[in-house]
Parts: sequence; structure tokens; C-alpha cells
Amino acid sequence: MRFRSPAPGIELSRRRFLRGTGVALALPFMASWPGRAAAAIGGAAPRRSAFLYFPNGAAMKDWVPEATGSDFALPYSLEPLAAVRDQVLVISGLDKPNSRQGDGHYAKTANFLTGMPVAKTTGAELSSGGVSVDQLIARSLAGQTPLPSLELSTEPIVSGVDSNVGFTRIYGGHISWESASRPLTRELDPRMVWERLFGGSVSLDARGRQLRGNLLDHVLADARDVRRKLSRDDRPKFDEFLDSVRAVEQRLDHAAQEDRPPPDPAALGVTPPAGIPREPRDHVALMLDMLVLAFRTDSTRVASFMFANDVSGRNFSFLDGVKGGHHEMSHHEGKPEKLEQYRRITRWHVEQFAGLVARLAAIPEGDGTLLDSTMLLCGSSMSDGNSHSPDNLPILVAGGGGGTLIGGRHLAFEGDRPLCDLHLALARRMGLAIDSFGDSTAPLPDLGPDEA
Amino acid sequence: MQRGRILVGVLLVAAGPMAAAADEDAAEIARWQETFAAKVRPLFEAKCLACHAGPESEGDFDLAAVMAAEQPAEQGMAWDRVAARVRLNEMPPPGSPGLSDPEKGLLHRWLDGRPGRNLCEQLASDETKSWYRGQVMSRRLTHAEYEGMIAAIVGVDLDPARNLPPDGAGGEGFDTTGDTLFLSPIHLERYLAAADEVVETVLTDEMPPADAPERAGWERWVGVGFEPTAANVRDRLASFATAAWRRRVTDEELDRLAALAEATAALPEARPLDGLRQACKAVLVSPNFLYLVETVQAGGVEPLAPRQLATRLAVFLWASLPDDELLRLADEGRLTDDDVLREQVRRMLRDPRSRSLAEAFGLQWLELGGFAQRVAADRSLFPEVDDPLVSDFREETIRVVHRVFATDASLLELIAADETPLNARLAVHYGLSEPEQVGADGWGVVPLADGRRGGVLTTAAVLATTSYPRRTSPVLRGQWVLGQLLGGRVPPPPPGVPPLPEPHEGEESQTLRQRLEAHRSNPSCATCHDRMDPLGFGLENYDPLGRWRTTDAGQPIDASGTLPSGASFAGPEELKARLLDRRDEFIRHVSRKLLGFALGRQLDEFDQCVVKRTAERLAAADYRSGLLVEEIVLSHPFRHRYHKMED
Repeated sequence: MRFRSPAPGIELSRRRFLRGTGVALALPFMASWPGRAAAAIGGAAPRRSAFLYFPNGAAMKDWVPEATGSDFALPYSLEPLAAVRDQVLVISGLDKPNSRQGDGHYAKTANFLTGMPVAKTTGAELSSGGVSVDQLIARSLAGQTPLPSLELSTEPIVSGVDSNVGFTRIYGGHISWESASRPLTRELDPRMVWERLFGGSVSLDARGRQLRGNLLDHVLADARDVRRKLSRDDRPKFDEFLDSVRAVEQRLDHAAQEDRPPPDPAALGVTPPAGIPREPRDHVALMLDMLVLAFRTDSTRVASFMFANDVSGRNFSFLDGVKGGHHEMSHHEGKPEKLEQYRRITRWHVEQFAGLVARLAAIPEGDGTLLDSTMLLCGSSMSDGNSHSPDNLPILVAGGGGGTLIGGRHLAFEGDRPLCDLHLALARRMGLAIDSFGDSTAPLPDLGPDEA
Repeated sequence: MQRGRILVGVLLVAAGPMAAAADEDAAEIARWQETFAAKVRPLFEAKCLACHAGPESEGDFDLAAVMAAEQPAEQGMAWDRVAARVRLNEMPPPGSPGLSDPEKGLLHRWLDGRPGRNLCEQLASDETKSWYRGQVMSRRLTHAEYEGMIAAIVGVDLDPARNLPPDGAGGEGFDTTGDTLFLSPIHLERYLAAADEVVETVLTDEMPPADAPERAGWERWVGVGFEPTAANVRDRLASFATAAWRRRVTDEELDRLAALAEATAALPEARPLDGLRQACKAVLVSPNFLYLVETVQAGGVEPLAPRQLATRLAVFLWASLPDDELLRLADEGRLTDDDVLREQVRRMLRDPRSRSLAEAFGLQWLELGGFAQRVAADRSLFPEVDDPLVSDFREETIRVVHRVFATDASLLELIAADETPLNARLAVHYGLSEPEQVGADGWGVVPLADGRRGGVLTTAAVLATTSYPRRTSPVLRGQWVLGQLLGGRVPPPPPGVPPLPEPHEGEESQTLRQRLEAHRSNPSCATCHDRMDPLGFGLENYDPLGRWRTTDAGQPIDASGTLPSGASFAGPEELKARLLDRRDEFIRHVSRKLLGFALGRQLDEFDQCVVKRTAERLAAADYRSGLLVEEIVLSHPFRHRYHKMED
């Protein structure tokens, strides 16, 4: 009974990110940065999407509601959603068929947002199967915001290769892929995210932009020279440099053409974070604050967040009733005391997600809130951590999606229903005119009124 | 037409030695294949294929596919694996039809008699691509190399990589692997910011005070009385770019740099050195600096250009720029001389900069990369753990490895040594006496009375990172010993493993051994756990922070173990002795790892030849660490590059 208090997480996380994590977002929440977002699409709020991943699966018995439709009871792990349940879709029965081969973790995480087979390699001919859905969306929105997308996490990439299974650990730390062989580097330090939102090219004056632009022109010319002298098999990798120079230049151009003043942190009532907090829970809260801030300032409309890398052994002893690491507990072997700790860890992740939903819902935008225009996906790349199954994945979808998502329901799908059907449905809601994505069969039905 | 001729020429050169070798070996290979068909194949079919055939093979090892290869003799890496596991009595596993002694003898003779081919002087190429996936490429610098090079240029370590996202790893497990070194817009933004900071800090308009750390760099790149005339700035840029880019700068490149400087200097309100600074920033953000550019000449397999070889050497051993001596030897064409190269290796290892080898290679080899993250200890249970202690753990391991390489000691001292580097805090942690003499950094060396310490295995760094937050893990520790010291592989547990029997409150330590033993009575678990658990139990005298203990939860520690080979031990000192018995496996593994680190790619069949040859030469030379590095630097793959031809 002592765990049944309704949605304690929301209060908790609000209080937490007010005390000493560096950012103090003053209450009450102020509206999204005027101008940028609303002006973008003739006054209507632009749609945003974020993809959240947590590692090591979930205890499914405590995740999947028994009833479907809108009249269902929240199981233990989902209880923190109580306060926002009208905004959340619980979706069960989605599979990732292309992860049924390969190893227990790497072949499942790298393709969380691609759905396609992950190449078994320690580096050569690396492949996540294809571009990830967030990056496909970002590509379609190119140029509309200062940043094409934002990739966030709290754990540095794990060094080394797993020679026992023959995979590089790079795979366990990336869900966002610009192409099958090119993962997007994630930002770990909230201060550096802040710099991307408010500093750097955004804060340069005309002279600074000119100096920076000249420098980049020069470097680009150098890069073209170098490329000519490289052999054929060196070039694809080297092109990352050329593409990065162009991306930074575009950012500079965007800042130069911006006719509105850059977002002003003081007017938004926010102050810069000091750096990476010592406690993982504060770190997670702060990164989610940054995600909210990025959407709020319309700095980007696409984001991904990894709570941690796959196989993360993060010590969760800070949670009441948990004594040990995440991966250790996910291998619960069916033992009640380990299962109990495992489900508490899962529930904590849901609690953080519920906090994010609540925060977005508290920010007015136009006639509604920031959450109304947003669609959030949150889930893991396997179901039960002890069996490492890539089927019946734990998946939540939240937000209004600009009037295209109707929450407060549990949708249970039967048979082979690939996760990519959901990715496809979300991508179409973000304005992509596509009929398939990854191993999709059709856009996932019943999410809300607007299927196109 | 011109290109066609070159292509033919290269093919002939490549095919020549291979054809000759094939002639010599033809008869021997035929004999070996006969034995295979007549005697070995039936044996494998009877004893192995029940588990090792098809895509669902146990341990992900498909022996049927290896046997079905057109040239079984070319499946060397697979046969090496078979030989190692059979010899250690690990295969066939308990519970399956075993091999009789005559069968073992037959198999060993056949495996040992595999016709040798001289692969050491070859590189994987399009012609041999079936063996080959990884390649050396013109890759970007690792963060360590980036820092090392910036510090070498400006004479001060400003920690310029601190805001760069951490590097991952690939190939043989190292960040030097080109395939897994990515460069995204975030990196470029950070490189721009770092170049800004470095150049604005060191190349100031005002002379820094005499005791300022940036003074030496300022004197080198600005200097008293420097007049920023166009000619002077151009001159300065020529030396700056030559140093940073590890090569001579062309006139055209210099023209462009000078033009950038002039355009900047001409801006209103420009400070005197703004032009020089802007161009120096461009040098540090240029791919000529950020990438190890290895250019193609004619294509195919080519020796590295002298300065490119000098750079490979400096990056490998110092994570830095080649110094003047290396550059001079390169320019004099003397780096192709074996004796000169050996001498340079010895000089470079003695140089303090070789610490970076211990730090970059040592930590990653030992699975200690990203160290602080890997120490899982629950600080509420172990309040004595704080950041300084954790960084001491890391530092100790670096020093243990560096000591071996810097003093040309035996590689076996990485397993057991009679002295070890310590500082006062660690001495207290371990319960050892403090070093009598310490350097300015507080570190010294203490002699050891017994084998409880010494070498890498019994450092707190290793013991703590192979523990769970609140207890030790004999399984993780055993797996570490097997994987990182002996080069063994353990496939992940199959899905649906039955749960271990329940422990009872207060019996955790005693029952852990019993529970794991029960686990191993299941044959599908035993195959792997018999290899690793005993190794981990040999380390049970160390708590999750690597401190010595004789009891756990009130129960006396039982640190004995027996391996499938029959080798047994009681306690860590005997465990180390058993590991030294298996020195061949250890030496081969370390050689493989260091070669993989040096080349920055996955190793292939050709490299295995280098590894084998190196291990043999080490065995004949007291396992001197310097010889290992020499052999790698002198090897064909280190001195050559394969460049894919244009279509």
C-alpha cells in the first residue's frame, strides 16, 4: 500500500529541479519564447517530437495494463502517470523483429529508432540498419530552427568492444543515427546544451559571425584539398568533417538571418546550469529541463534522450528499497526480491517521464500548452530484462501532437506489429509524406484522429 | 591508360611472393588436407557438430562452416581457437562425448602441423578482402592525441579536450580505431571553441609574466619585439602550421593562411595580433591538424611516407607530435632503417611522454576506459570512497603499466612483480607501508614482501571495476581475467537460464560459491562458468574496493579454485603463478592488443602472423616489453598502408 500514493513523482521532480541543480526555472512557468515558434507556421504552434529511451527493459507484469481502451488501471510501474494519464497512450504488443537475432543488447538498442538489423561488428562496416526516425524528421525540418535536432544523454559512451559477442559498445550508446553508419554524438553536459541554445553562434555579433565565417570557409577549403589526396576508402569517413563544417555554417547563417532577437534566458526566468550534477537523478532532471527549454525556445523541434546506455549498471541504491545496479537487477532470474527492485527502477524512469509531460503541460503556448503541439515516445528496446526479448516492448506515447493524438488509453496490438509502425505514424504526424519506414507494415492505427 | 599500367604493376608485386609461397607450401597443404579429410573431419563430425553447426551454433562458433571452406588451411584464426579450447580441456565440455587420448593426440598433431604461410609481410587488400574487414584510415585524433599535440605546440596543457564528447572504441577495443571515431557538428563547435581559447591564451598581444605557464609558448610563437608585418606573420604561420600539421606546408596553403590573417588584421579596431591569431586558429581546426592524414600515392599497398611514419610512431607511443629528432631522421630518409627504428622506440619509451601509452593503451586494454564511470561502489555503503581515491586507483594502474614499458621490464611483471608504485593514500588503503622516497607528485615505489600486490590484476582499479555496487562478483572477475589477461572469450548466457537457488539471509558469501557451483552442475552453464568462476574465486580475498580481507559477512574466505585443465590454486599468489604458467596465452593476447591499438583497426589473418612471430621472439628474449613495441613498429602492417584504387 505504501507505494500507491498517486503520482508522487511529479511533485518530487519539480522540487528537485528547483533545488541546487544549477538551473532554477522560476515558478510559475512562463510561456514559450514568443515570436519564434508561433510565427513559424502562420500562428499555429509547430509540432515537436522527442524520443526517450531507457535501458535494460521493464518488468512487464507491472507495466502492461490488464484492460484496454480508456478504462484501465495503471499497473505499479505506470502509477506515476496518474496525474497526466489523459495525455498518455500506453501501447503494448509492439515488436522489433529485426532484433530477434544478434546479441542481447547492442543489436536491440542501436535500432530502437531504425527498426532494421544491426550489423555485428566491432567497427568496420558499422550499421544501425538505417537512418533513425528522429533524424528523418529532423532532415525534413532542416533550416526551420537554429538546431536541426538535439541528442541528449547522461552517461558517456562506454569505451571498448564487447569481444564476447563481437559488437562495439558504440551501439549501446546511440539511438539517433544520421545514417546507418553515422551515430549522432550526444550531449551529456547540461551547461554545454545551454551553450548550444543561448551561446555560440546565437550570441555572436555581426563581427564575430564574420570572423567565424571566414575561418570556416578557410577550413572547408583545407578539407576539400585533403579529401582529394585521400584514397577512396578513406573518403566516406572524412566526409563527416565536411558535413560538420557545413552544419556549423548553416547555424551561423541561421543566426545572421534571424530577424527576431535571440531568446533571452532572463525573460524566460532561467539561469544556466553549473555543469553535470553529481547525482544521476539530478542529472536526468536537468537534461529534461534542457529538452523542455529547447522546445520552448523553438531552438529545435526534434530531440532524443537516453536515460542511460544499454547494459547500464547505474547504481540505483538512491531509490527506497533498491540496493544495486540497474543491469544487475534486470537479470532478476525470477527472484521476487530482485524483481521488486527492478520494477522500482522501471517505475522511477516512468516517473521522470511523467514529470517531463507535466512540465510541458505547464507551459502556455498560443491557446494551449507546449505539450499540445508535442509528441513524446518513451520506451525500451527489450521487454523483460531477464529474457532480453525484443517483442511486446514497453512503449508510451504522450502529448497532443497538434491535435493528432488522443491519450488516456491503452492500445494493445496483437501478432507481429513492428515498432516501426508507430515510428511511421509519428513521422507522418510530423509532416513527412512517407508510406513506410524501416520494417513498417502500415502506420499504427487508433492513435488519434489525424492519420496523415 | 596510365592508371591501368600502375594497377597491373602493383598486382604483380602483390602476387609475386604469394605465388612462390603457394608453390612451396602446395605439397604440405595437400598432405594436411588429406589428414583432415581422412581422420579429422570424421572426428569433428562425431564430437563437435552436434552443437557447432549452423546459425544457432553454441558460443556463436560454426565449425561446420569452417570445415566447409574451400581452403580449410586458410581458416587459421578458427583453428587457433579450436586448438586453444581443446588444449585447455574446455572443449568438448563436460556432459558431451569427450575425446579419448589418442583422439586428442591426433587432433593436436594435425592442428600443430598446419602448413605455415608467410603472411607477416602482407597487408589485407582487395585481393584478399575475404579475410578482411578493418582498415587503417586517415582518422581524426583521439582526445588524448588532440591534447598531447596542442600541448606540444603551445607548451602548456590547457585541457582543450575537456568539453569534447567522450570517444567510443572499436576494432580490438581502442579509441584509435578509425571506424568508430566520429566527427559530428558538436565536435566541430568544440574544436572551434578550444582553438579560440588556446590561441587567445597563448598568443597574446601583451607578453605574459615570466612565471606564467603560457610564457614559453608565447616566446615561441610571438616573442619579444615581434612586428606583425605581413612578411613576419607569414613566416610565423609557416612554422606554426608545419609543427601542427606534421609536414611541410605548400606555398599555396601558406598564401591562403596569410590572406586570412591579412583580412582579419584589416578589420576595424583589430588588435595587432588578431590576424596571426585568426590564422593560427584556422591551423588548429584544419583537418590537416585534426586528422592523421595518410595520403595515397599510386594506390595499392604502399610504404608510409617518412613523416607519416614518424607521426604514426609519435601518436602510438606519445599521443603527440613527432619531435625534432624523429622529423630529422624522417627527412634524412633514415626511418626505413630497422636499427634506427629500434633505437628510436627505445628512446621514446624511456622518454616521460611514453606515459600516454600506459594511459591510453593500458587503461583500454584492461577495460578501464572511462574509469570513474566504471567504479560502481555504492558510496553509502563505502563512505571512504571519494573522487581523489578513485583517481588514485586509476593513476596506480597507469603507473604499473608505464613502469614496465619505461624500464624495458619483462611483460610478465604485469602479472606478478616484487615492487609497485604507490602514494601515501593508497598505501593506507592497502595496508602497506608508505613509499620511503616520493617524487613531487607524492608517488614512489614500494618493495613487496608477498604476491598479494604487484602487477595489474591485484590493483584496486581492476578489483573495484569488476565488483557490483555492494559486493564482489567472482563471475565478473573471472571473466575479466579470462578476457583481458588470457584473451579468452565467453559468450553471453543463453536466454532462459534457470534461477540460482535462493540464498538465505546472512549466508550471502558462503552460499554464493555454493550457488554458483549448483549453477555449474547444469552442463550448458558449466562450459563457460568452469573456465571463469574459479579464477574469480581466487580473488575473493579482495573486497569490492580491492582491500585485503579474510572474512566476508562473518564467513572465512575460500579463495581456492580448479580449472578444467586440472590446474588448481589457493589464493591470489597461486592464482598468479597459474597465470604465469599460461604465459604464452597472456603474451599473445597482449601482443594482439598492442598491435590493434597501434594500427587502429580490427586485426586479420595477416596480423595474426605478426602476433605469433612477436610472441615467439619475446619468449626467446625474457619477454622484454621494449621488444614487443619494437616488433610492432618494425612490422609490415605498421609501416605500410593499403589504399583502395579508384574504380
